[in-house]
Amino acid sequence: MAGTAERMAKNQKQVAISEFFEKNKHFLGFDSLTRSLITAVKEAVDNSLDACEEARILPDIRVKITKLDDKKNIVELQTEDNGPGIPKRSIEKVFGQLLFGSRFHAIRQSRGQQGIGITGVVMYCQLTTGQKTHVRSKIATETSAAVVDIGLDTRKNKATKSNEGRELWELEDGTLKEHGLEVTCRMKAKYQRGRQSVYQYLRMTSIVNPHADITFVDPDGDVHHWPRVTERLPRKVESIKPHPHGIHLGTLQRMCTESTDSRMTSFLYKNFSGVSTRAAKQLLEAAEIEEKGKPKSMKPDQIRALIEAFQGERVLNGKPVKLLNPPTNCLSPIEELLIKKGLSKTIDSRFVTTMTRSPTVSQGNPYQVEVGLIFGDGMAADKPVEVLRFANRVPLMYQQGGCLLTKAIESVDWRQYGLDQAGGRGVPKGPAAILVHLASTNVQFTSEAKEALADNGEVMDEVRKAMLEMGRGLRKHLEKKKKMVKVQEKFELVNDIIPAIAEKSAMILKRPVPNLAGSITKIMGAVIAESTTAWNKETKMTDVSITLFNYTSRARAYTLLASWPEREGATMEGNDTGGRKEATGVWAWKLETLEPGQTYTIKYALKGLEKGDWTDTDVFYRGSQEVIGASKMDEKLLEEIRRQEARAEEEEAPADPVEHKAAPAQEAAAPVAVEEGPRPTSQQTLMGFGSDR
Amino acid sequence: MSASHSPAETKAALHEVVTEMYDKIVKGEPPTMTLPVRTKNNIGFDKTLGVYKYGKKRSVRDATSLGSAKQLLRALHVVEFIEEMIDAGKSSTLREMYYISESWGMGKFSSQNESNNLAEDLEVVTQCLREDFKLRPEEDGARMIGNITLRERNRRGEWMRINARDDVGDSGYGVPYNVEEEKIELLEHDVNFIMAIETGGMFDRLIENGFDEDYNCALVHLKGQPARSTRRILKRMSEEWDLPVIVFLDGDPWSFRIFASIAYGAIKTAHISEYLATPTATYLGITSDDIEAYDLPSDDLSARDVDALKAELSDPRFADAWWQEQINMMLELGKKAEQQSLAKYGLDFVTDTYLPEKLNDLGLA
Repeated sequence: MAGTAERMAKNQKQVAISEFFEKNKHFLGFDSLTRSLITAVKEAVDNSLDACEEARILPDIRVKITKLDDKKNIVELQTEDNGPGIPKRSIEKVFGQLLFGSRFHAIRQSRGQQGIGITGVVMYCQLTTGQKTHVRSKIATETSAAVVDIGLDTRKNKATKSNEGRELWELEDGTLKEHGLEVTCRMKAKYQRGRQSVYQYLRMTSIVNPHADITFVDPDGDVHHWPRVTERLPRKVESIKPHPHGIHLGTLQRMCTESTDSRMTSFLYKNFSGVSTRAAKQLLEAAEIEEKGKPKSMKPDQIRALIEAFQGERVLNGKPVKLLNPPTNCLSPIEELLIKKGLSKTIDSRFVTTMTRSPTVSQGNPYQVEVGLIFGDGMAADKPVEVLRFANRVPLMYQQGGCLLTKAIESVDWRQYGLDQAGGRGVPKGPAAILVHLASTNVQFTSEAKEALADNGEVMDEVRKAMLEMGRGLRKHLEKKKKMVKVQEKFELVNDIIPAIAEKSAMILKRPVPNLAGSITKIMGAVIAESTTAWNKETKMTDVSITLFNYTSRARAYTLLASWPEREGATMEGNDTGGRKEATGVWAWKLETLEPGQTYTIKYALKGLEKGDWTDTDVFYRGSQEVIGASKMDEKLLEEIRRQEARAEEEEAPADPVEHKAAPAQEAAAPVAVEEGPRPTSQQTLMGFGSDR
Repeated sequence: MSASHSPAETKAALHEVVTEMYDKIVKGEPPTMTLPVRTKNNIGFDKTLGVYKYGKKRSVRDATSLGSAKQLLRALHVVEFIEEMIDAGKSSTLREMYYISESWGMGKFSSQNESNNLAEDLEVVTQCLREDFKLRPEEDGARMIGNITLRERNRRGEWMRINARDDVGDSGYGVPYNVEEEKIELLEHDVNFIMAIETGGMFDRLIENGFDEDYNCALVHLKGQPARSTRRILKRMSEEWDLPVIVFLDGDPWSFRIFASIAYGAIKTAHISEYLATPTATYLGITSDDIEAYDLPSDDLSARDVDALKAELSDPRFADAWWQEQINMMLELGKKAEQQSLAKYGLDFVTDTYLPEKLNDLGLA
């Protein structure tokens, strides 16, 4: 009898693995022929990005899809990276064992958390084509690359190897590849274009991974290339300990049993974030547990009591025990400037506004919201805006309607910001794309398919706040654009048309060309500022030029001010007209009196930026007569900026990362006093702030 | 009488326009172009000429906005172009001018409508005709059939004698765009009246039924809103031969306007009404009461029709009692009818019954 039971148990397991896959393929991402291909690419690319990030290598990724049999829908997928490679002995583990992976239990922001990963791809290939997956891996310390064909023994949940060997990995230029991984597999799948496609997935991936260089060769042989736009790797994320607010009973139980700590106080202090020794004592007191108690010997009702104390359900002196927030340095936001670059490289457009909110905590889980909005001519004006959703740098491509991020976008009345939106609800229409990224140690999805974020009031509020701020930026941009068009027209009028009328009429009448000054003053009757901000390919700097025209009949005196990316680390070069620093990111020039008909030009270049970092300079003025093309300087805003600077300096003192939100000084300085107003950290916000009041 | 100006007169008139702009710049003002307001609010009856002309209202186009400044620049280019054509003895169509403007840089036209309007503006301001400007319209004139004889100077400069009954085919004599004396001379006729007809279908019906011979008249096909040359030749025949002009149109608000442009002058060309309008022309039909009297198949008035009729009520050209009655009656009926709806009673009804009855009322049959 015992033998039968053994055999049955064994059989059960044999069936389980492949059956598990079959039954769950919808949430493993292999439910349709189109999606299977996307999932396969996703698993491979995610692995490459993660490996490069850990090895601090700037990733070069190449994806190639070839149609082998159109009728039977057989395609070959080949991915190649320049990551560290996988040592020969680990290849079979990585590719041939389900649920292998180190990130399954760690509490930190990471791309994949399923654990099925690339093994699922190997299995899918084997199930649909019967073919093994070819792996070529080169690590830096060896001369040759390891090659092997990997299959799966579903009975043993183990890899099967064949054609093992070593070879020299030669590159196209004849040199040897230093390190990297190449995976070639054949599967039943379908390549499709459109919103849910490999192309879109890679495009979105490149937006949120501006440090990656991605090349895609589609089945038609067309090569799509998304170049790297920054040399900066994402911040290395730290693992954090769990926070009491986010822990479940089972986890706590397991932690207690596995603990080697001798006392409960040190157990709490060492294994949880946000728990000081004082808080540990208070928690135990609230839970009526002895401080000296051994974690291993905790009884179930004691553990339950502790959870209740964690949640604030058991109180001490009538109050829940106060806990510090978990540190937020475990998050790796993409950051405003890089989102901007990422968006700009895939969408050709004029206006980009981005914003990274300060990290915050919901139910013990740190999270951070980032948004970006790109607006301009390159996109269709009469279609809904493109919504680009990401969770921990992973594109979300399905279930757009059911996702928290989409709902947050839909809840904003975009009409006031210049986009079309029927009834002020729903996804707005217009030539724009909106990006939302949620970075968190614990992303809550609506289902195992991990394509839509579950509702969460706090996260929703954060996303909404960010959207509203971007909306204000967009409105300012559109208003400014309208004004610019008017100014441009006036310029065309006095610079081109009026002189042409004078010349032509003089020619027809055979008289001398008359002086135009009087007519022009009458027509314009205003002081006009014109500014250009343009990337200079030769010098690799951003050239800025501001010209003030006095088209009035009186002499005028002004101080001109301009915004510049001082915080982003730029320096001003060749500013021959001098001036002085007015505040961080604001430079001022006191101009001499400008006589009627006179012009004055300020020129400088911004060094230390890359193309697309700074595309628009805001010009302000101080003086009595209005300047068309510039905004009157808001002195209150300037004071605000100076106050914040002062505060930021005060807080620059070293801080304990647990006691203090470990954020850059400028961010830490922001919210407290000016909760309502947006922080002047980027050019758009400065502009929006300046003219909103 | 001739509408034409000599090349020197034309140039001088155009130079006045240019001088206005030039002098404003010299004075330190934005350049301007002054022209009569060209709407129905600025046309009035000229008792001595018997037609409607522009009144005294003037509008000033000044170069303070990009749009109107470009208009001024375009006007200068057009003036220059006209001078070149006058000097070279060439002419061009309005459409050709529109394409030529492609090379005028900032002064180029963005639509042909714009160039047509500007040519008219210049006519209005200078009191010259576009023929003086060597500009001709695209549209051709009307067709004519009947026992009238004229001389036309052909493109080789030779005079040809043409009888519009004996020397032409079924499509009749084609009226050229220029019908001034240097091009056409009216010689002799043997007709009692001239009938102007709106649609080609009706024109052909009357010819097929031999109406022109039976009633001893000349038929002119207007082709909808008649071209300038059509109106001009009607005017000349009426004046030089002292012939009545009878106008036979559809019965709808737009036909009323066609008649007004023939008899009283069109709003757009009120500056040359005395050359184009035939004040003695008579409206024969279809009248509003014909629709009821003959029980004609009719269509409901559209919203646009109603608006047009209401606008006509306040148009000085329709101010007399008969027209007010006709317009109000059509508004009350809420119906309009086409000429060819007379076919309800058979193909010959129009020539055997309708026209004789109507002409009888007018004392012409």
